[in-house]
Amino acid sequence: MSYKNTLLAIKDGSKNFGKVVAVKNFSLEVKDGEFVCLLGPSGCGKTTLLRIIAGFETLDSGDVLMNGKSIIRLQPYKRPMNMVFQNYALFPHMSVFENIAFSQFLKKKSKEEIARKVKKMLQLVQLEGFETRRPNQLSGGQCQRVALARALINEPKILLLDEPLGSLDLKIRKQMQIELKNIQDKLKITFIYVTHDQEEALVMSDRIVLMNKGEVMQVGTPKSIYNHPNSKFSAMFVGENNLLKGKVAKVDSDCLVISVDGLELFANKTVNARTGDTVSLAIRPGKLRITGELESKSFGNRIRGKVVDVVFFGSVVKYYLRISENITMVAEDRITDESNSRSIKIGDGVTLGFTRESLNVFAE
Amino acid sequence: MRKGKTHIWLLLPFWIYYILFFFIPLGILLTYSFWLTTPRGLVPTFTLENYWAIFSKKLYFILILRSIRIAFIAAIICVVVSYPVAYSLTFKYKKMQDFVLYLILISLFSNYLVRIYAWKTILGGQGLINQILQYIGLTKEPLPFLLYSPTAVIITLVFIFVPFTILPIFSSLQNVKPELIEAAKDLGANNFEAFYKVTLPLSMSGVVTGFIFSFILSAGDYVTPQLVGGTTGMMIGKIVADQFGMRYNWPFGSALSYFTLFLLALLVYCLIWILKILKLRR
Repeated sequence: MSYKNTLLAIKDGSKNFGKVVAVKNFSLEVKDGEFVCLLGPSGCGKTTLLRIIAGFETLDSGDVLMNGKSIIRLQPYKRPMNMVFQNYALFPHMSVFENIAFSQFLKKKSKEEIARKVKKMLQLVQLEGFETRRPNQLSGGQCQRVALARALINEPKILLLDEPLGSLDLKIRKQMQIELKNIQDKLKITFIYVTHDQEEALVMSDRIVLMNKGEVMQVGTPKSIYNHPNSKFSAMFVGENNLLKGKVAKVDSDCLVISVDGLELFANKTVNARTGDTVSLAIRPGKLRITGELESKSFGNRIRGKVVDVVFFGSVVKYYLRISENITMVAEDRITDESNSRSIKIGDGVTLGFTRESLNVFAE
Repeated sequence: MRKGKTHIWLLLPFWIYYILFFFIPLGILLTYSFWLTTPRGLVPTFTLENYWAIFSKKLYFILILRSIRIAFIAAIICVVVSYPVAYSLTFKYKKMQDFVLYLILISLFSNYLVRIYAWKTILGGQGLINQILQYIGLTKEPLPFLLYSPTAVIITLVFIFVPFTILPIFSSLQNVKPELIEAAKDLGANNFEAFYKVTLPLSMSGVVTGFIFSFILSAGDYVTPQLVGGTTGMMIGKIVADQFGMRYNWPFGSALSYFTLFLLALLVYCLIWILKILKLRR
């Protein structure tokens, strides 16, 4: 494969730190203008991978290619990408202007051009007037924006971001997520974004690369990963999920019949399972509909349960249900005006319906 | 609790000590520099005669300038030698940091005089350096300028004061977090540019401190020149010490001291000012 049309490709990358496996057989292709998130728990290798792309770490085996050409021997300052560091890494002995203009000073651009470019960047990150401030006079969010401007002024082909919003408080973080997404839309630069916050990944990315222990678990759009996780890990890491264990009772042409603790559940045939296999199942709380007896027949699956807790979460309400002696599940319902008439209480027996499509099956 | 009053009490011992044993003696010394010494003893007056006396003999001024020159060269060499040590300790040999720092500190525990005598032996005609040079055949006779010369004084001073320079430079280098260097490289700086534009400015305060330590301590040193300086390596410290010893001319000794101190302070101030102009300091 020539990868000539792929902006960035990593081919079978592996890296160890002594005995610790940081990255294992990692392959990825990133297209021009994409917003890709490397998502995973701490220690999964996502930051290591970002640093390998940037040139701060080397691969033990494998290759990194840009438009088909290997860049693995290039020093960081020769690669057409820039990084926004986790703790901003702003130069404390320089002003905001000098920080942002740093790369342009190195390129020996003229004073006028530098001034013009810095002004444009400050407008982009909405920090006009902050030219003479020092990093120690800025708030976290402002520092982050300076770090962003400093990286973007170079017009890199790829912007690498290492958990840039990690140390900001929730409100500012959410605001910056939207701002970052807007900037990316506007500039059409490829973003590779590392985070452990799955909500952040869902909100911002075009594609998510889910990682665990140095390996790729799943790659897909936020929607596909959310609705069709391919493993127990993916199901549990992204969003909330009900996890069940069962045995395949029957394999039909287009669906699987799985027996779970006495219940019979139907799922679309997405994995090659044989009768007798032990499988894991996942169903999102939002897909568990509390219905009346009649309605439930229109769903592919139907189970009964008893409400043991009702928790109000603002815009949703969660029902904690006991299905059987070994199984508890969570169902989520949006609060609308009609749902007032539902008024489900603790102790109620309810019928839950969910489609075959929403029941995810993994061989584990 | 009233705002911030406690710390004044905590600082009191410090202030008492310094006022009693530093500022007051310095003040007394300054006063002496305006008095006169006569066969009958010290006469309290106000006169500038002692200061004029400095210029009466060429010797004094020559010695002051030579002391400043020797101290300056020694301090520069100290900094130039210490910086790479501090740098590699910080960035390359992190695991050995504590060990090497202890070694440096321990070298300070060894007796000052013993160290100078050690250098007298090493630099001497039968000393280690000459023996090696003659052995490998580079020289036929012992090099004369290795001992009892300004060179000997500079070499000895460097080795004595390098620990004083390594420590402040090392300390200021701790401020340079590796990610700052990575950020500089990411933005297009090669190794040299990253050092020059990020590491050096941020560690400059340590460099200046180290330089001032070794410069001022060297300029006033009078034991080293006495043991390894000979006549060509004589420094002002000896003359000052003599005034308070054999010659019993305290006013003149004070005037010499303060005048030298004034020149040293002026020089240091100029250096800092030059660095600011060159934008090497923030």
